[in-house]
Parts: sequence; C-alpha cells; structure tokens
Amino acid sequence: MSTASIIVAIASFSLGTLLALLTIPVLVWLERRIAGLIQDRLGPNRTNIFGFRLGGLVQSFADVVKLLLKEEYYPSHIKNGRWLFMFAPIITFVAALLAFMAIPFADSIVINGEVLRVSPLPIDFGLFWYMAVSAMGVLGVIFGGWLSHNKYSLLGAARAGSMVISYELPLGLSILSLVITYDSIDFNAMVSYQSGTFFSFFPSWGILMQPLASIILIITLFAETNRNPFTVAEGESELVAGFMTEYTAMKFAMYFMGEYIAMNTASAVIITMIFGGYNLPYLSTTELLESFSIFSSTLMISIPLIAFIFVKWMRKNNRVRSTIKNDGGRAFETKVLTAVTVIMVILIESILFYLTYLSHDALFQNIAVTLFQIMIFVIKLMMFNIFFIIIRWTLPRFRYDQIQYIGWYYLIPLALLNLFITAIVVVGVS
Amino acid sequence: MAKRAVVQNNMLELIIFSILTLFMLSGAIVMITSKQTLFSAFGFLITMVGLAGMFALLDSRFLAIAQIMVSIGAVVVLSLLTILTINARESNLPDEPNKYKWMVFSSLLIAPITFLLYKSLLTLNSNFSDMPTSTSKVVGELLFSQWVLPFEIVSILLLTAMLGAIIIVKDPRKKEEV
Repeated sequence: MSTASIIVAIASFSLGTLLALLTIPVLVWLERRIAGLIQDRLGPNRTNIFGFRLGGLVQSFADVVKLLLKEEYYPSHIKNGRWLFMFAPIITFVAALLAFMAIPFADSIVINGEVLRVSPLPIDFGLFWYMAVSAMGVLGVIFGGWLSHNKYSLLGAARAGSMVISYELPLGLSILSLVITYDSIDFNAMVSYQSGTFFSFFPSWGILMQPLASIILIITLFAETNRNPFTVAEGESELVAGFMTEYTAMKFAMYFMGEYIAMNTASAVIITMIFGGYNLPYLSTTELLESFSIFSSTLMISIPLIAFIFVKWMRKNNRVRSTIKNDGGRAFETKVLTAVTVIMVILIESILFYLTYLSHDALFQNIAVTLFQIMIFVIKLMMFNIFFIIIRWTLPRFRYDQIQYIGWYYLIPLALLNLFITAIVVVGVS
Repeated sequence: MAKRAVVQNNMLELIIFSILTLFMLSGAIVMITSKQTLFSAFGFLITMVGLAGMFALLDSRFLAIAQIMVSIGAVVVLSLLTILTINARESNLPDEPNKYKWMVFSSLLIAPITFLLYKSLLTLNSNFSDMPTSTSKVVGELLFSQWVLPFEIVSILLLTAMLGAIIIVKDPRKKEEV
C-alpha cells in the first residue's frame, strides 16, 4: 500500500459517505420545493440562520433538530422482541447506505503506475454487491411491520415484501441483459464501455442500446425504493403510515432517511448502468487527458458564464415584493453569496490556468479530470433525483393488485423476451 | 519484522474467526429454540451473515456476496413473507415436550459425522485460501466448464422441489369439481 493509494481510498470513502448522508437534507428540500412548484405554491422558504435561508435549505436542518429532540415513544403492547423492534430501522438504513458504496464516482486514477478505483469499495463486482445488499433493506421493513403488532403495520410489511419479491425478478432479468451487452458486472467497466459510440454516431449508453431493459430497470427500481407510484406499503389513505405507523422520532427518521438514501442509490445505479455514469457522451477519460488544454479552456470559458447566469438569477429572485420595507436580510444574503461565487470562480480559473499553461504535470491533470468527472456524476445524480421527485408528485398511486399485475404479466415476460433477443444478437455478432 | 506481522495477522484472523463462530452458533441456537417463528428467521439471518463472513475471511469475496444474495436476499426474505402470510401465534404451534432433551440427544447422534467432517477438513491443503476463487470471472469459468454437470443437476433438484411443493399444495378434491 503506497501513500497515494491510502489517500485515494480515504478520499473516496469520505466522498461516498458525504454524498449518501449530506444529500438527504438536500433531497428533502428538493422534494418540498418541487412539490410547491408543481402545486403552484412556494414551499418552505422562511427558516433562516442569521438571515441566510439558501432558498429554504435551512428548513431541512431544522427538521433534523426536531427529529432528534422529539420524545421516543415505545408502544406498550410490544412485549417480547423490543430490541428487534428498535433494530429493524437500522437494518433498512444500513443496507441502503452500504448499497451506495459500490458506485464509482470517477474513472480509475493512475498514480505512479498504480490503478486506483475512485469508489468507496474498490471491488470488481459492484453490481452484484448492489443487488445483494439492497435486497437486505426489505428485511428491516418486514421485521418492523411484524413486531409492531398492528394490523396496518402487518399489511404494509406484507405488501412491501411481496412487491419486492415480484419486482426483483424483472429487475434481475433486465440487469442480466445489460450485463450481457457490457460483458461485465463491474460498474467501472460498464461506464468505460458506455463512453464509446455505436453506428459511429450514437453514444453507446444503455438507454440507447437497450431501451426496453432500461425502461424496465427504471420502473423496477422505482418499486424497489418504495417511491410513488409504488407506495402501497405506506399508502396513508388505506394503511395510516404502513409499516412505520408505530415508530417515532429517530427510529422513524431512520426509515425516512433510508428511503432517501435508497432513492439516491437507485439514481446512482441508473446513471451508472444506462446513462453513461460519470462520463459525458463522446468524452472518454483518455480523450479528456490527451486533449487536456482544449478541455480546460472550454471549462474556463463556461464556468464564468454559468456563474454569471446564476448570480443574475439569484439577484432577480431572492427578494421580497417592492411594497414590503423589511426584506429580512435578503439583500445581505444575495451580496454574500455573490461574493462567494465570484471568489470560487476566480480560484477555479486560476487553478485551471496554472494546470493548462504553466505546469504540465500529468498527476495534477489526472486529478483535475477526476474532479471534473465527480462533478458530472453529482450533477447527473441530482438530475435523476429530481426526476424521481417529479414522478412522485405527478402520478397517483397504483392499486395493490395493479402493481402485482404489471409485475407478473407485463414486466417479467418483456424482460425475458429482451433477454432472449439480446443473447441471440450478442451470439450472432460474435 | 515480517514474521511478527504474519503472527499478528494470524491473531487478527483468529479473533475475527471466533467472533463469526460465536455469531453463527448463537444464531443457530436461537433459530432452533425460539418459539416465535420470526425470531427463528432472525437467527437464520445472523447465521447466514456469519457464513458470508467466513467466506470473506478466506478471501473469496465473490462467494461471500453470493452467499448474502442467495441466503438473505432470497431465502430469508421468502421465509419471512411466509411467516407474515401465515401469522402463526404461539398458541397455534404444536407442543414440544422435552424439547431440550431431544436437542442434546440429536446433537449426540450427529457427533460421529462431525468428527468425520473434521478429519476430512484436516486433509485439505494448507494454502486453501490462496486458491484463485476471489474473482467473479474465475468462479464463472469454473462453474461453466469443470462443474457444469453438478450445476445443472442442482437446478433440476430445485425444479423438482418446486413441482413437489405445487403438487402437495394442490387440493385433490378441487380437481374433481373442475
């Protein structure tokens, strides 16, 4: 183990943990603001710390404090198995968190001839890890629902369990046809396959090469993460809150956070498997490294433009109506955020300028490309999370029998058919 | 220096091995003794996690993950779903008089087989853990070249079990009505 490998391992591990845990408040905020947008209202935007409201993001931190300080309530009718009742949310949370750890955030970085994976768990069977660990999440739901000794919880848990079982099959079959296409179960190899092109024009993303498998993958991952329109396990109009009816405070928060981490993981898996992962189309890692000066010049032009548009948008929107005198510190917040943006742009520009024209150190260029890929990954991740949220606030919930019907009568035959066609085509081509 | 590191490594391995063994044994005992079916399933879960840890300790990480995927992701989830559907109460379960006596007696019966197993394990290569089973590619190639016949036979066994379950569940009286 060299020093570089240790540093890369620690950095990617902390990056994975931060991405999994720190996106929860951001996702809760996005959920509320997008719900507001769709329902033609504002959503939370008043909570602030010293006048900083960050568009309402501070509200999520207030919620965390609320959940931490709430009273823990144990239902008195739970006689034996109270420890398992308390342990059940932790299973769901930890399974969702661990499943995220196999995702690569950037291409393998080469330092002194050593190939280092930029992923919290440097394993070459990441897909397998994801499928194994994420399947454990439903165990917490079933344990919690059964031990609550409550008809609503029991029904919710039974629904969650049977839904996961019936959707695991099409999920596995669609993933299998993608695996046959990429000829690997290594996430990193999948992404580098997708950085190429087919018919010498289209980027060979999974969504273009395997449209049917990709759509089935997205639908089944919606079901696996218990998101709308598949929220029958906690359908409040029928089952109060489903399996988490008897849970309070931090134990409820564990289920809640587990759901958001699972959604984040599902987005990461979708973009890694069928949307090119951390790469932009037509731009593989080697091309980025070979034509580093062109790449960095493009960045040097585009970053100030994006920052300019952002500042202009913020100045236009972050203020109260002109009839109200007291703006609650919004002008001050705008000023500070503008200054921070300008300083960051100047810093990034100077670093890029130094790397492109003054120093030609391959190592630092490597690191710059890795950081760029991480940025692309995070942007794509957030776009897919927003897609998840928009779907939630657009579609009504399926009825329970409709879900089983779709799973068994449509998705499984379609996935099987797709698998056969893929196998025939792959064998025929080779 | 190198020798000391090896000794420390062995020590660490032994500690992890003992912890895993403790987990597996206690899980197995909980599975057999507890009256509630859900706790039995939890004991089974703990045992399977320990078994996956054993594979990981032998440096075959792929097998460890496969163990988790099959035993926990499929077997435990399915058995839990069955428990949820049946929702058996303790009063509905059959009486088991002298349960612990029978358990001790049956473990005595198994003792000779355990001894045989121990003897056969002693004849294994000492560098068992160095064998190239750690990557998925090697496992897949072995499974589809050298071990393809046992692999297929196991799948036939599973199919037979499934058919048997369906036939047992099928009510013969209903067939006459149709």
